[in-house]
Amino acid sequence: MREIWNDITSALFLFYKYVTRGSKGTLILTIIVATLAFLEINIISGILSSAIDQVYLQTKASYVSNIVIQPGKDQWGNNEQYIKQVSQVKRRIESIPGIIAASSRYSCGAVIEYDPDKTGRETRSVSWPVESINPDEERRVSDIHIHLVAGEYLANADRDRIILGREISGGYGANLELQSLKGARVGDEIKVYYVNGIVRKYIIKGIYSTGFPLADMSIFVTENEMESVLNIHDRASKILIKTDESYPEEYYISMLRQAGLNTQDINPWISFIGIVIGLTQTFGIIKNILLLIGLMVSGVTIFIVIFIATTARKKQIGIMKAVGMKDEIVILSYVMLAFFYALLGICLGIILLELVFKPYFAANPLIFPIGKVPLTTNPAELILSIVSMLIVSLIAGFIPSWRIARQNIIKAIWG
Amino acid sequence: MINVKNLNKIYPGHIPVHALKDVSFDIPRGQFVAIMGPSGSGKSTLLHQLGLLDEPTSGQIFLDSIDVSKLSDRKRAAFRLRHLGYVFQEYALIPELNAIENVFLPLMLLGMKRREYIRVAGELMSHVGLAERLNHLVSELSGGEQQRVAIARALVNNSRILLADEPCANLDTENKGIVLKLLRKLCNEMGQTILMVTHEPEQREFADRVLWLRDGRLEKEELIDKESQKNALLNIYRTDISSDPDFLK
Repeated sequence: MREIWNDITSALFLFYKYVTRGSKGTLILTIIVATLAFLEINIISGILSSAIDQVYLQTKASYVSNIVIQPGKDQWGNNEQYIKQVSQVKRRIESIPGIIAASSRYSCGAVIEYDPDKTGRETRSVSWPVESINPDEERRVSDIHIHLVAGEYLANADRDRIILGREISGGYGANLELQSLKGARVGDEIKVYYVNGIVRKYIIKGIYSTGFPLADMSIFVTENEMESVLNIHDRASKILIKTDESYPEEYYISMLRQAGLNTQDINPWISFIGIVIGLTQTFGIIKNILLLIGLMVSGVTIFIVIFIATTARKKQIGIMKAVGMKDEIVILSYVMLAFFYALLGICLGIILLELVFKPYFAANPLIFPIGKVPLTTNPAELILSIVSMLIVSLIAGFIPSWRIARQNIIKAIWG
Repeated sequence: MINVKNLNKIYPGHIPVHALKDVSFDIPRGQFVAIMGPSGSGKSTLLHQLGLLDEPTSGQIFLDSIDVSKLSDRKRAAFRLRHLGYVFQEYALIPELNAIENVFLPLMLLGMKRREYIRVAGELMSHVGLAERLNHLVSELSGGEQQRVAIARALVNNSRILLADEPCANLDTENKGIVLKLLRKLCNEMGQTILMVTHEPEQREFADRVLWLRDGRLEKEELIDKESQKNALLNIYRTDISSDPDFLK
């Protein structure tokens, strides 16, 4: 044991001297490369993780909340069109602990027509479902009301007012030209042809932009207005449920089932972003590839530095062995050096990440098609990258030093 | 002290080189032996075998009655560390370490306490006349000073056998004198057994005995009388060492 301790302290002594008396330029350059590799791994994967998180957050905040209840099948197995006795159902839902609010919506297919100069020459139309909301209820399950970029949110009493998502209005940086009214503004009049033949004129009261295209492709009127269009009452096409997220959605779904919602179709938010799930899986693959590249860059750099250092000191290593130094001490001293390069690179990387890049991206988030994406780091991924880099550095330090240390002393000294 | 029996060393290759052929000799404790011979005669090869830096093809080497010719690599390293001192032709010091660190390195490897190895190394540095240069980096020392540091390092483990491979080859006349006189002094005053490879004939007069090698064989032996030694100390490589008060006190 004492011998092992003595070997470690001897290796530490040599390592300390390599660092303090070795080339400062090599030290700085190697640490810079290790830092860049660490940043490459964590910034890119942080942005991709952040983009994925952003999709999840925005889906819950602006699109479908946590859970969606839709009509199920009737006793004959036919698809129901509406959830009946919605007021009673909502009371039952909100009595479940952990459920914050429930908001019902009607949805009705329609063609929306917009004639900007009222001459009929430039009429634009889109075919898209119009949804209804109870504005007071809706405020508790979605954040659309805080994302208005023009005009105002709906009020319960509004009947001839409508609000549009950015992508439908076609302004405010909208990207999806095909489903857009190409520049409808607050105060403009639009005509809605519902599938049941009812035609209504509405004044655009507000335009919202959450930055999340799926959420920004909606058209809302009030619940009262839609009930008059459809000539029904106390029903809903869907109910959005907001939970306190103390448990996974599956837990609340089972509670809803226990509360008697057995015939309805109940799904968590994740079921509504099928297209995006594919994207997140792709992001995951890209992250792993970048992690591998980053590790290879840092590993190869450290390997080259240690390779050059040991090759240049071949004679010196031979002399140390001639004096009686064990191979293990020589190897350990260089492994410590490689570990030190990586550790300093990681520390510098963490400092830059936390003090420079994260604040910068928080102030200037990247604009992705799925919304604004800041830079966030996942602690588990951060730890994985740190541990991986340190392991790679140990290997990168070991191989070249082992190669030289096992050489014949005579060859090492005299070539 | 040193017994060499029928030592052979063959370097394998397309054309194997028989570098040492049945070399046998004994060296008693405290003798200063010069190994001489023309280039390629096997001088350095012999020293490498005695210094356990290489393994002989056949034959035996006994150092203090221990057969060291068949030791494992690990045991050879431990033996070198504890019992041998080696001075190389070039100033074989570690550039990242200063003078005293180079000297105490073997003691550190032996597990001696820090305070103790600094004291021992400091004393040896004084002994070789470098008390004022303890903390100088290798690059700040002259060739002669570096070789004296190397000698101090070779002695620091209290080794009885000092092996020196052309220790003066790269030194100027003054430093040659200093190093050779130091080796002679170590032999006289500390009872050090010294084997020194040299190709400069006048240097053999610092030794007690000369082993002449030719084509890998021990060709002849020569004893140096005390008068020649005294003459060498006084007249060969005359040096002005008055500026170095500790040296050869």
